[in-house]
Amino acid sequence: MVEEQFTDQEAYFLERVDRGDRIEAEDWMPEDYRQQLVRLIAMHAVSEIMGALPEKEWVPRAPTLYRRLAITAKVQDEVGHGQLLIRVAEDLMRPWDKNREDIMEDLFTGRLKYHNVFHMATPTWADAGIIGWLVDGAAVITQGMSLSCSYAPYARALQRIVEEEGFHIQHGESICMALAEGTPMQRAMLQDALNRWWPALLMFFGPPEKSQLSTHQLRNIRYRIRSKTNEELRQRFFTKYVHRIWSLGLTIPDPTLRQDPVTKEWIYQQPDWNEFREIVNNHGPRSEARLGLRSTTYQEGEWVRRLISTAHRAG
Amino acid sequence: MERLDFDVYEVFAQSDPLKPHVHVFNVLASTPDMALALAEENFFRREGFVNLWVVRRDAIHQLGYQDREGFRKSEKTYRTTEDYKYLRDKWRHYREHPMSAEDRTGGTRDGSVVD
Repeated sequence: MVEEQFTDQEAYFLERVDRGDRIEAEDWMPEDYRQQLVRLIAMHAVSEIMGALPEKEWVPRAPTLYRRLAITAKVQDEVGHGQLLIRVAEDLMRPWDKNREDIMEDLFTGRLKYHNVFHMATPTWADAGIIGWLVDGAAVITQGMSLSCSYAPYARALQRIVEEEGFHIQHGESICMALAEGTPMQRAMLQDALNRWWPALLMFFGPPEKSQLSTHQLRNIRYRIRSKTNEELRQRFFTKYVHRIWSLGLTIPDPTLRQDPVTKEWIYQQPDWNEFREIVNNHGPRSEARLGLRSTTYQEGEWVRRLISTAHRAG
Repeated sequence: MERLDFDVYEVFAQSDPLKPHVHVFNVLASTPDMALALAEENFFRREGFVNLWVVRRDAIHQLGYQDREGFRKSEKTYRTTEDYKYLRDKWRHYREHPMSAEDRTGGTRDGSVVD
């Protein structure tokens, strides 16, 4: 982006962003800003919706009634977050004459990707615990950064979302803590789940930038849509969670993991980034099954949506 | 597939009878009843409210950005107590050092001005 090429309108917009002003849906914005926002928010929205599915698999199998109520509430929250974010995206897409139907269509055709973690299998109850504790923990690190996003409606939605994530994380911590304090079999179950999820958790933040930021990232930082790099966020995750994981007597499946005592930077083994690309392109272990379920449910609900649309409004 | 049509409703909630309704977020619905039901489901799964309003977005009129910007810039401290903060120190000063009787000249009992 060469700033000299900006029109007066664009320059004024950037000046607003620079002084920390928040942009509203009806305000003038560069088309590029709108596109970056839709890209980010639609992806976040479908990730919340698809993110309900791995844990939903544990609703009928939760070990106690209390746990079942709590995990049902969490699944409902995730779908609710999807609803909020889809509204934010729809308002941005209005000048293009597009709405949520296009978002769902893009999800089903694979044009719109969702977070790598929600393509993974959840074979045990410990997986449900790890999702709440560490996947939501990772998500809050990213979303916490986005609270300062220059686009006000997204930041407002995130305020509501982050508040509920606080409950999700403790719900996950409580499941993991109970297993960690449990029988040798339960402890082994928790360790196995951590082994399964560790690479996916590192992938969650995206590939490290090294010295090269992508065009999208540079633009998003310029527009104050985001303020930190993938690697900065991942480092925060390590700082927050590595010692906690160790304190439960768990082993992190990376013998090279250590913190540099001087720079405080975490040194770790990179996950397989080719596998990451495969996963987010819907070739993960559960991609097809979950997209299939979502798509079938969407088609089966078509008559309900039709019935409640304004076409059938009385008068 | 034909496109389905819904309206955007803005949601306002009151948390206490003495508090004003505050904007919460918005929902997509085809009737006010549906908007109210969705507002409850979407925004009040935990906290409570004493009243809830839904308003179709096209019924809300708002200032454009230029007007909002203009309003933001105008300083109105002369309408607030902001400019009178110095009074506290003055009152403390005169409590400790009252003005003397000589200081109180400047007016007469009958209201006529002394030269």
